Amino acid sequence: MNEDYLWDKSGQPDPQIQELEEILGTLRYQPKPLVIPRDLVAPPRRRNYFPLLAIAATVLAALLAAGVWIQVRTSSEPQPEQAKVPTVVEEPRRDPVVKDSTPANKPVSKESTVASNIRRRHNTSAIKRLEREEAVAAKEQLMIALRVATEKLSLVHRKTQTTTPANQIKNQHRIG
Amino acid sequence: MSATLDMLGMNPQIDAAAEHSPATRVEAVLVKAVLEGDRDGFGQLYGLYAPLVHGILLARVPRPEVDDLVQDIFLHAFKKLHTLRDASAFGPWIAMIARNRAVDFHRRSKETVEINDDLRGSDTHDSRAAEILELVRSLPEAYRETLVLRLVEGMTGPEIAARTGLTAASVRVNLHRGMKLLREKLGFMEGL
Repeated sequence: MNEDYLWDKSGQPDPQIQELEEILGTLRYQPKPLVIPRDLVAPPRRRNYFPLLAIAATVLAALLAAGVWIQVRTSSEPQPEQAKVPTVVEEPRRDPVVKDSTPANKPVSKESTVASNIRRRHNTSAIKRLEREEAVAAKEQLMIALRVATEKLSLVHRKTQTTTPANQIKNQHRIG
Repeated sequence: MSATLDMLGMNPQIDAAAEHSPATRVEAVLVKAVLEGDRDGFGQLYGLYAPLVHGILLARVPRPEVDDLVQDIFLHAFKKLHTLRDASAFGPWIAMIARNRAVDFHRRSKETVEINDDLRGSDTHDSRAAEILELVRSLPEAYRETLVLRLVEGMTGPEIAARTGLTAASVRVNLHRGMKLLREKLGFMEGL
């Protein structure tokens, strides 16, 4: 059997295969026109939006996660006092612009400075109150200690003055 | 057909890139054109693939039923073309539709009656062809489909592989083994 002829009709033709081709060729497809009814329309291809939706959802989820993470991070960090300073400092910068139209002592800048002073006063008064309380407590402790020391000294003084010479001799004997 | 392919820029003689796999490229362009409303494009697909569908059916169902089934399958494919994901896989897709339709046909009808009808021939040559075809149909499914496409429809091995989506090696093996089995069966026949 010639395999090349069976495969792609090349090479030496195989007589038995040729005979089979000749006999079976009578059954070959006879071209006929395809009649497609006029009312039959090929539906348009359905757009598959799933990959696009999946990408959009992923990006949205990533953005949300990043936003939450940044918010959590900033809120967990202790905000230093200095961080508030720029907001206070920024306001006086507006002064020159406003100065052109209003007098130098304008209420806006005053309010801002007053507000900042009030904050400072609040802070300093709170600190002073704490310090004063501590100082008063320390002073009381010191006074108590002084009183105790004075009492002890007076007791010792009294004891030394009331001692008799016999006792002294007694004591000397004990020592010796 | 050539004019339409020229319009689409997919004439194998013009497009050098199409020389690598002109059949699949052409069918992909035609499928897209049909989905955009070009009914003539489907006529071209029918012209390209009707022999394949005819051969697949001839290996499975009685001959008088084949022509009607070919028309039905192409009309069904026209209606369902939008479900084809890979436009270049039109051949394997319609081949699968044809195989499934043949299975459906046998479920719905009584085979004995149809075989008797099939064996009726107008002349001796036709009856011999029907007898040999019946021998081919008695072979395993993979062999009989490949042999019918080769011996009846006159396709070469590479053409069968390209249109059915099978590998060239599979087609070659099927052809060789199928032919060997057919020769054994034909040994009992007179006149061959």
